[in-house]
Amino acid sequence: MAKIISIHSFRGGTGKSNMTANLSVMAASQGKRVAIIDTDIQSPGIHVLFGLDEDSMALTLNDYLWDRCTIAEAAYDVTPASVAAKGGKVHLIPCSIKAGEIARILNEGYSVMLLNDGLRKLCQELALDYLFIDTHPGLNKETLLSIAISDSLIIILRPDRQDFQGTAVTLQVANRLDTPKTNLVVNKVLTKYDREAVREQVAEKFQTPVIGVFPVSEEMIELGSKELFTLTFPDHPYTTELRGVARHVVT
Amino acid sequence: MNDSQNQQALDAQLDSLIQPFKAVASPLQEFLSDLYIKYKPLTEGKVADYIPELAKVDPDLFAISVVTVDGKVIEVGDIDQLFTIQSASKPFVHGLTLEDCGRDFVLSRVGVEPTGEAFNAIVLDESSGRPYNPMVNAGAIATAGLVKGDDPTAKLNRVMEMFRNYCGRDLYVDMSVYTSERSTGHRNRAIAHLMLNFGMVDQNLDDMLDLYFKQCSVMVNCHDLGVMAATLANNGRNPMTNARALDSQYIKDVLSVMYTCGMYDYSGEWSYRVGLPAKSGVGGGIVAVVPKLLGIGVFSPRLDSRGNSVRGVKVCEELSSHFGFHSFDLHDDHSKFLSSLTRTRST
Repeated sequence: MAKIISIHSFRGGTGKSNMTANLSVMAASQGKRVAIIDTDIQSPGIHVLFGLDEDSMALTLNDYLWDRCTIAEAAYDVTPASVAAKGGKVHLIPCSIKAGEIARILNEGYSVMLLNDGLRKLCQELALDYLFIDTHPGLNKETLLSIAISDSLIIILRPDRQDFQGTAVTLQVANRLDTPKTNLVVNKVLTKYDREAVREQVAEKFQTPVIGVFPVSEEMIELGSKELFTLTFPDHPYTTELRGVARHVVT
Repeated sequence: MNDSQNQQALDAQLDSLIQPFKAVASPLQEFLSDLYIKYKPLTEGKVADYIPELAKVDPDLFAISVVTVDGKVIEVGDIDQLFTIQSASKPFVHGLTLEDCGRDFVLSRVGVEPTGEAFNAIVLDESSGRPYNPMVNAGAIATAGLVKGDDPTAKLNRVMEMFRNYCGRDLYVDMSVYTSERSTGHRNRAIAHLMLNFGMVDQNLDDMLDLYFKQCSVMVNCHDLGVMAATLANNGRNPMTNARALDSQYIKDVLSVMYTCGMYDYSGEWSYRVGLPAKSGVGGGIVAVVPKLLGIGVFSPRLDSRGNSVRGVKVCEELSSHFGFHSFDLHDDHSKFLSSLTRTRST
């Protein structure tokens, strides 16, 4: 049975999509069959990291939700060569980046049940080991669904007051949704702070395990989401720390 | 409002937002989705076509609704699709007449004996002159004649009010189905005349038949059937609105007649295999009741030779055997079902 891992942050800009993409690739590097689904219908973006653009995405999650295709038909094989060499597989189900299509789904809404069916079918048809869900910040239908069906939830936050308050909300919701496993990741910590101290403080504050603390990375910003950081910088501290996160969620 | 009430109100808001997602993530949802996928390709059976309005329905439509007595809703498929309730209305109107006329009087007019004959058989109990039971057409027509009200409109309004209490929303009569039912209902008219001959119904046959045709032409969706069944399972109270739809003293009357007579001439085998009080309609709906636990609504228009929904029967059979819902499955404590409502949290 595929394990479903949702990556969420209450506010935008936490580095969620980058972490989701890199984590999935790490899992696939262990020879696993992995898919990433972008449920950030309002502000999709993770496809960029895998080099997809509007022209290369003929079908998207939107088409599935409009009954124009099966969910597997909207899945793109984006396995990096180095991962393929290790027997892994990475599929991506992107959201439409066309303004009119984003508008349509916001105007018309969609059936959560259909999305849920799609996620289950995806796990079966692609024989997945892991399904990673890149969610939209805040609380909305697709986020609530992904938290509800996740085997594991990772909440990413920055060390600032707004993120702290938002994280408390997400944790409260996850608790009510009986999410089996919830972990925190702190990203964009200023380099002057002691990361171990941050880990302890955040874990204590939320009574939830902190499985990664990442410093602000200039290299990451410089890369500008053009490619997958952990493949380009396999020995960077970010990559090392992310391996630690992967060990918690990928077994 | 004090702080703790305020907190409770906020918690209730959060719960109502979250509950549907919780239901979607439950193992039961997965079980229903699997059932849906398994039986979706089943095209056995034939859509009822005795009136053109029924023949027009898309035969592939399919939905399953499970509603628990504490208001949890787990559903799959074309859940909002409207269709006519047809004979699935019969147990509910039976309940209404029990409230109106009392057990003894209703029993003096309509029996509680399964017929083993087709639903539209023109047959009465020879010794008593009564129709055999309220689930076959003869009995249901006589039952419609027992609904209290000063005039036909008042009677219809009471039936619609009863449906509203069961469903938690206003239903309406589809006029084109009703008109067709009325203009082609010669057999039902013949049954009514036979009953008049035996003195079992009042002179006013047209009003009685009219109410019967209208109650059959009420539009429902599969979710409504699930809620209506759950209301019976919940001792007559709608689990979502808490409205009382049936006096609790008559629950056993309604359920026992559904149990023995609800599935036309398949009732015996149904009781044996599924073991639940249920009623089917030729619109493709089935309501089934697991007392004190939940209601099941299934909708799929293709019917078997007895007039029961083919997929509906299959789905009820599977639900009953998987979760041990059979009324006489005494070793089952429903723990399997109860644990299917929430995901288990690993430590």
